[in-house]
Amino acid sequence: MLATKSAADRRAWPGLLLDSPFPWLLPLAAILGVTFIYPIFEIARLSFTDASLVGAEYSYTLESYLSLFRSPYFANMLNVTAIFVSFSVVFQILFGLLIALSVDRGARMGLKTSIVTRTVVLSAWAIPGVIIGIIWSILYEQSAAGILNYILGSIGLSVPFLSDPQVAQASVTVANIWRGTAFSMILIYAGLQTLPEDVMEAARVDGANAWQRLFRVVLPLLAPILFIDLVVVSIETFNTFDMVLALTGGGPGRSTEVVALSIYNQIFQQFDLGQGAATAVLLLTINMLMTFVYIRYLERNEEIG
Amino acid sequence: MARRERLTRAGLYLLYVVITLFFLFPIFWVLSTSLKSVQQLFAARPVWFPLDPRFENYAYVFNNTPIVRYLFNSALIVLLTVVFTLLVAVLAAYGFSRYTFRYKKPSLMAVLVFQMISPVVISIPLYRLFVELGLLNNYVGLVVVYSAVVLPFTTWFLKGYFDTIPYEMDEAAIVDGASRWQVLSRILLPVCAPGVATAAILAAVLSWSQFVVPFILLDDVDLYPVSVGLVNLQSNTDAITLHYLSAASMIAIAPVVAVFVLLQRYIVNALTRGAIKG
Repeated sequence: MLATKSAADRRAWPGLLLDSPFPWLLPLAAILGVTFIYPIFEIARLSFTDASLVGAEYSYTLESYLSLFRSPYFANMLNVTAIFVSFSVVFQILFGLLIALSVDRGARMGLKTSIVTRTVVLSAWAIPGVIIGIIWSILYEQSAAGILNYILGSIGLSVPFLSDPQVAQASVTVANIWRGTAFSMILIYAGLQTLPEDVMEAARVDGANAWQRLFRVVLPLLAPILFIDLVVVSIETFNTFDMVLALTGGGPGRSTEVVALSIYNQIFQQFDLGQGAATAVLLLTINMLMTFVYIRYLERNEEIG
Repeated sequence: MARRERLTRAGLYLLYVVITLFFLFPIFWVLSTSLKSVQQLFAARPVWFPLDPRFENYAYVFNNTPIVRYLFNSALIVLLTVVFTLLVAVLAAYGFSRYTFRYKKPSLMAVLVFQMISPVVISIPLYRLFVELGLLNNYVGLVVVYSAVVLPFTTWFLKGYFDTIPYEMDEAAIVDGASRWQVLSRILLPVCAPGVATAAILAAVLSWSQFVVPFILLDDVDLYPVSVGLVNLQSNTDAITLHYLSAASMIAIAPVVAVFVLLQRYIVNALTRGAIKG
């Protein structure tokens, strides 16, 4: 009798509603729906039009995609983006791994300087991307005020950091590695804290030297973290353009115009909404493909629930 | 053995010096530049340490650029975003952590997918929508978009944190007659305060750095946050004012770097704890 009553109580109006996950998730679903789902459908629709940012009239066409693929800048943009993303990702993970291993080792030995190093690296991550772009533009300054120019000049080199297309690509990538290494570092560092101490100890007792322990024990155990790092950093790098905008604005010419910056320029500089939207759909497709791989991986490893 | 340990130690110190130099040098140089006179700026031999620091460069930036306004705008946007994000994320994290339901896994995945979408992609349709609704240059609309960008991460982070608290604690309270809401506000939140604080700090740092969203959804200079404001300053600045641009950059990064350095041990611990869990 008592049990039935309390069950009936729970079914009463606010009780029933509060005992389902629905009201808890509703605000999140509403916000993500308005700011993500609506725009995704809208950008896909616009990508099949010849709309301009300024005019109201437009008609549906495939020309937006066709002219995008035919454009000589398209191959350039893919090329620039591929170089920017691949070099950024590889070096961010390598440096992140190196720094995480050395900071972890130092922390285990009780070195206070390891914490200082960790803090310095992490601070770079807290700085807004556009300000990192401005900071590096000051370093790359090619007038007498430029410090890198002076240092390299003193060994007889003159490097056109931002005025030569190829060098500018390298300059932008170096600045981006500086910016992004902290993320990989903290992720890998967190992973290192989870390594089972007994396995490490066993390897030590078995007489494995530091390199053997690194390549046979630590890296295999870190593989899942490294994979997650790879996917997340790749997506982030595809999506970013704030640092590049402040550093080179995509120039010289369009030699550093990565895909996200290209979308912005097509729409807000050339007012070509249709073609810009088509490029955005391309970026979205890349995002989705990589996310799909990521989710399949998480599911296979049962890391969700 | 002792010799090997000494060698490792020396190697680590050397590595730390190289790493610290690489990461600190750009900031050191901009700080140095911000304190120089115009002659020192273009000296044939670069001045590393301006011995007669020109603090008036900072005074000039404060007096002749809207940087204080930009900082205030950023602070306001970040504050509103953090409050709004936490409200929504705490509720959703509770739902994901404390209920089992049919489409839970796909829902969690869907939240993760949004994390991967470039803000530039969504900002363009939102720009057109905001123009139509008259929401352009309106902080309410802007804060919703800022929140949406940080919500996926914040929700996952908090859900992971809630998961570390055994469900038996909730059950005991519910048997004692507490409602779900009371369980969340009186038991879970106090226990998870460090996690909520970390989520707030990370959401604040990410929002402070946000650029694309305000760059596209604001066109009133008076409303710019500091990231957009600085790009605006930069494009109106020629080479002679490099020291002013440096000073402005230092002013813009000081608050967020200070917060980060002061709280980093805390942040690292919380992030590491999340990693251990999942």
